[in-house]
Amino acid sequence: MTVCRLSGDAQPRLQGRETMIELRKVSKSFETRGRSVKALDTINLSVREHEFVALVGPSGCGKSTVLNMLAGLMDPSAGEVTYRGERVSGANRRVGYMTQKDTLLPWRTVEDNIRIALELRCRSSEAGERGARLREIIDLVGLNGFEKHYPSEISGGMRKRAALARMLIYEPETLLLDEPFGALDAQLKIIMQRELLRITRVRNMTVVFVTHDLAEAVTLADRVCVFSGRPGRIRAEREVLAAEPRDVVGMRFTPEFGALAEDLWNELKDDVGKELTT
Amino acid sequence: MAAALKDVWIPRAVLLALALASWEWAGHSANGEWISRPSAIVIRLGEMIGAGLHIDIAVTLGEISAGLAIGGPAGVLLGLWLGRSPLAAGLLSPVVVALNSIPFVALAPLMIMWFGLGVLPKIVLVALVTFFIMFFNAYSGVLAVDRDLIDGLWLMGAAPDEAFRKVVLPGAAAWIMSGLKSAVPYALIGATVGEMMLARRGIGHLVTQAASQFDMTGVYAALFVLMVLGIVLSEAVALTEARLLRWRK
Ligand SMILES: Nc1ncnc2c1ncn2[C@@H]1O[C@H](COP(=O)(O)OP(=O)(O)OP(=O)(O)O)[C@@H](O)[C@H]1O
Ligand SMILES: [Mg+2]
Repeated sequence: MTVCRLSGDAQPRLQGRETMIELRKVSKSFETRGRSVKALDTINLSVREHEFVALVGPSGCGKSTVLNMLAGLMDPSAGEVTYRGERVSGANRRVGYMTQKDTLLPWRTVEDNIRIALELRCRSSEAGERGARLREIIDLVGLNGFEKHYPSEISGGMRKRAALARMLIYEPETLLLDEPFGALDAQLKIIMQRELLRITRVRNMTVVFVTHDLAEAVTLADRVCVFSGRPGRIRAEREVLAAEPRDVVGMRFTPEFGALAEDLWNELKDDVGKELTT
Repeated sequence: MAAALKDVWIPRAVLLALALASWEWAGHSANGEWISRPSAIVIRLGEMIGAGLHIDIAVTLGEISAGLAIGGPAGVLLGLWLGRSPLAAGLLSPVVVALNSIPFVALAPLMIMWFGLGVLPKIVLVALVTFFIMFFNAYSGVLAVDRDLIDGLWLMGAAPDEAFRKVVLPGAAAWIMSGLKSAVPYALIGATVGEMMLARRGIGHLVTQAASQFDMTGVYAALFVLMVLGIVLSEAVALTEARLLRWRK
């Protein structure tokens, strides 16, 4: 795999880390109206502990399907998905999953939605401690003043942030994020990226992050995987080495960053074009 | 918007006054006794109130509430159960659908033969009608719950009963409320039909009693009471719904 060093003093961050997630020769087909559509074709992907992996690729190439399989919501048609060495079957409760479509409960206010994971029996915590964490996380995603609003009363970007808070509050060891910042404006996006990096580093989280934004992928990820169009395959992988802590704004203005983004774009563009013309 | 609403009240009032005036005028003409007169109806209502109208209202309302209190929860529980268990649904839903195909009005004579002349047959009739309505709404409500919402809670570590309490039940609540909204008018119909067959009290009884004496004013007065009752009940449910389902925009 190609290693891209974005600054001279960048050190490998993940040496000696064990494999956390592994997809081995995974294929996935869907049956719809008697026709079988192959969404993913023989994917191999492994993610190490504490690693931040970004998946990019044309629409419909199976990125969300990969996350669904990691979460145990779908089984592969062929091949094997393992998590910490164990085969994933049924809901994988060690991951937090923020889906492409937000799944906030419409009858709960923003704060009651965010709090819901802490209400579950498997996570008994003191009411006082819960309240403190709730305020902290609402602050973090910038939803102060909207705690008592219902999801139907806030904007799409705010719903995304509420969904992110709902996932972060219970600190799962692995985060699956499907275009979490797609609906945010450029400025808010940078703030959220910075916070996500900070939190995942402090809490040593493993992250699989789907995005359409190449600059975002390079800014955040230790590794970027480029998918080809349907049926999805992994077409290229780039390891990104950058000085820690990453400066999510400053690093964009280095020539190395531009070169890597261009390199990824070259891998991606044939397929994107193909998708549009067919 | 508010101004437009205000403006519409004046033509409405004018229209109503015109309609009442022409009714009154027609009632004074030949054969007027068949359509009665608003003024006569008002006087009759006054007499009825003096003669214990409140007892008839209480009897009808009592039948409606008792019937709803039995049929409603029973229908909701069965609906929730079948919604959760495809096996039970496959087994029982054809039976429920078949039974529901009987026009419930046709059951009234049977109810009276089984349960006599008192309030019991009316309560059973109301309970039956509301049972089916609430059943179908609760059942559809459970089936309509977004699978992704349940999956989301699963991943957070919810136990099956927690997923049911926190997602399925509140998700189905909107359907159950709209079931209640359609059940209440049917409950009023059920109670009235039962009273019209055979009864000692109740507003349905007032209607048939007046009709058997060709007392048109009495019939209209009883119908007016039924209309007011229907409006009040529907408004009460609509208000409850608006309060419980504030999240729906
Ligand atoms: N539940 C499903 N049933 C049938 N087909 C599905 C299902 N989920 C996904 N697919 C198909 O699998 C393919 C990949 O879908 P997927 O949602 O994984 O794409 P994606 O890469 O996430 O796209 P996007 O970037 O637009 O979100 C698509 O062709 C889609 O039609
Ligand atoms: Mg997707």
